[in-house]
Amino acid sequence: MKTQLSDLLLNDRGFAFDPVRGETYQLNTTGLVLVKMLQTGMTEAQILEAMQEKYEVDENTARRDLEGFFDELETIGWKA
Amino acid sequence: MSRLPYTRPTVQRLNAGPVNPFRLGTSPSCSEIDGVSVESLANDFGSPLFVFSEKALREKYREAHRAFSRRYPDVQFAWSYKTNYLNAICHVFHQEGSIAEVVSGFEYEKARGNGIPGNQIIFNGPYKQLHELQRAIDEQAMIQVDNLDELLTITNLAKGRSEPVAIALRVFLSTGDHTVWSKFGFNGDNGEVMQVVRRIIATPQLRLQGLHCHIGTFILEPDFYRIAAKKMVGLALEAESLGAPPIRYLNMGGGFASHARLHLQYLAAEHSTPSLDRYAEAICDTITQLWPAGRTLPKLYLETGRALVDDAGYLISSVVAVKKRHTEASTIHTAMSAYGKGGGAVTIAASSKNALVLDAGVNLLYTATWYQPRILPARPCLDAPTATTVYGCLCMNIDVIREEAPLPSLTTGDRVVMHPVGAYNVTQSMQFITYRPAVVLIGEDQQVHVIKKREDLSYVQELELVPSHLA
Ligand SMILES: Cc1ncc(COP(=O)(O)O)c(C=O)c1O
Repeated sequence: MKTQLSDLLLNDRGFAFDPVRGETYQLNTTGLVLVKMLQTGMTEAQILEAMQEKYEVDENTARRDLEGFFDELETIGWKA
Repeated sequence: MSRLPYTRPTVQRLNAGPVNPFRLGTSPSCSEIDGVSVESLANDFGSPLFVFSEKALREKYREAHRAFSRRYPDVQFAWSYKTNYLNAICHVFHQEGSIAEVVSGFEYEKARGNGIPGNQIIFNGPYKQLHELQRAIDEQAMIQVDNLDELLTITNLAKGRSEPVAIALRVFLSTGDHTVWSKFGFNGDNGEVMQVVRRIIATPQLRLQGLHCHIGTFILEPDFYRIAAKKMVGLALEAESLGAPPIRYLNMGGGFASHARLHLQYLAAEHSTPSLDRYAEAICDTITQLWPAGRTLPKLYLETGRALVDDAGYLISSVVAVKKRHTEASTIHTAMSAYGKGGGAVTIAASSKNALVLDAGVNLLYTATWYQPRILPARPCLDAPTATTVYGCLCMNIDVIREEAPLPSLTTGDRVVMHPVGAYNVTQSMQFITYRPAVVLIGEDQQVHVIKKREDLSYVQELELVPSHLA
């Protein structure tokens, strides 16, 4: 069973409670920003652009890390 | 608007209990070695790069020498060549007062080339060739006999000499709950050594002058040396009671632990590696207490290797790729379910780990088979460490330097520093699909000296020949 990202309980330090599995997670600052963007319904392309505006990161690194991070969320069982 | 420094996004499942998510802290880093920047070392001498600290070598030697000479009147360290026989490293230890301990003809030649006279070379090892023994006898090296074949060969070589050839015996002993290194020498626990001693006493061309044991390596328990020293004194006195001349020296070998950490070792090295003082106390106090009162104590030799050089060596390497490593969810059945009780199955959640590929492989880090080198980023990182798999650069699935190293999110081009790696890696590294790196020594004045150049194609191919019909 998947957990809707909108159902996650987040605090501003990246602590996340998944009410479907009863598990807790720790996001780092970048992870938290990305999950919040996903919660607002932004697309992957929009997030990629937003990341480069916000952080000192080049497109390749951002794309690689974003894809890796989405995979990770999928493995956990979270979906947008 | 200026952009913020970037860290790679991560999410980590928390286990109930130990982790306090608000106090994960930042990651330790190592941006300098002896005050020299890691980034500049990698830029100037290439990556990967072995780095040795002359200051650390000398300080460690002095600490070891002090620990023993405070407690014992006649102590001599012999640098264990195999542990690291780069000439510059050997020169540091020889300058500090070490003689040489070698285990092959090759190492013997190296020690002679480093200016050590034969009578200051301890010659160990199970395979000493005829001409090597001949030279060692001519040069009055301290031969420590490993087996009967060797003893007979020496007896033959000794015939017709005006003076008997002085030898020592390598002995193996059981000292505690670790493996007995019974490959080398004669059994000190079942009377075998005394049979050999009788044979030596009956051979006028030979004179027994010492006993040697090396109980193992990375011995975390100083008490094992107490047991070994007690048995060695017992053997020496028994040999004398059989008619051997006074035993002039006891050689307790090497084996003291460095600040490396074994795989599966729970405690960090700071909490598990005994101080050199504790080893010195175990050995010196035992010999002084048990040696007959009024008699001069035998000279004490030590062949300490890894404890002197390991902590002084670093390997700088660079991240060349960043990966993810996924593990599927799985259920393991515990003994409870096998026993027919419910509730014995435990579900392990699916997870995914960060993974890195470095430009150095396990061919350079032979000791990674047994030890987990500490891996530190060469720059301060903002985020907390997560379990990260560290792969080497070889085209082999076994090339994993650490299954799980605590690392922050690193990216391509980042440098890392592995430590301690000064013992056995340089001598045992293999050339495989890439060139072996340069080795530098940072002097006490922070000058950086190349002590071994990086390999190149012509060096690697130097000994190859292509038959003319293939040319
Ligand atoms: C005979 C002998 N002496 C000394 C050493 C050095 O041992 P370590 O590096 O454990 O101090 C060894 C290593 O195996 C050895 O075989």
